Amino acid sequence: MMRVFFLITVMISLSACYEDAEITLHQAGVYKGKLDTHSQTAEQREAILAKRFGQVQTDR
Amino acid sequence: MAKMKFLCDEERCIECNACVTACKNEHEVPWGVNRRRVVTLDDGVPGEKSISVACMHCTDAPCQAVCPVDCFYTTDDGVVLHDKDMCIGCGYCFYACPFGAPQYPQEGAFGSRGKMDKCTFCAGGPEEDHSHEELEKYGRNRLAEGKLPLCAEMCSTKSLLAGDGDVVSELFRNRVVRRQGRQEAWGWDTAYNVK
Repeated sequence: MMRVFFLITVMISLSACYEDAEITLHQAGVYKGKLDTHSQTAEQREAILAKRFGQVQTDR
Repeated sequence: MAKMKFLCDEERCIECNACVTACKNEHEVPWGVNRRRVVTLDDGVPGEKSISVACMHCTDAPCQAVCPVDCFYTTDDGVVLHDKDMCIGCGYCFYACPFGAPQYPQEGAFGSRGKMDKCTFCAGGPEEDHSHEELEKYGRNRLAEGKLPLCAEMCSTKSLLAGDGDVVSELFRNRVVRRQGRQEAWGWDTAYNVK
């Protein structure tokens, strides 16, 4: 009788050791701030910055 | 479309901290806030390496995901920026960021946190380009002036690169091929004709 009681106690205590393996994933929400406007289009900026990169970032 | 990225070549970084100084000076970053810093790995041990770290403008930015007020946005250039008017200085982004980029100025007598401040890739913020508000809150908008981040432009050894991810990776790939696994002593090719 004592043995059964001991086994049940061990099983209950071990079951309390369960750890949830699932992680919480967050998705980015929708930006609620001010709109960032640019005077140039993304393509224009890309061309300008690519030229700049060639001037100042290349290996010497 | 260009996706702006930073890359720090640890074989070239000489821990001069010019990038840190350039950033602080260009944007008049307040005392106690470091948008960029140089970290040395295995300091004092032969073979130590230094890298310059700031916001990496992640493609899937964790700061953006955890922000409770949704004040982060990604520009067409792939730069992660935030609206300081919305920021509540909660610090969630700091815990989420793997690079420790978000910084908080101390405000008030009891050291309470102010609004988050971080590297903007010299792209300002959501205020009007070149406006006084933009300069005051986010620093200079060099991208709108057709310039790249000053930290990278100032780097004397060209360890820190900033620009379109494809162009930066191509440049770095060529360096790695040229080194062929050897450590590269910057300038030796030119100065001593070492091949």
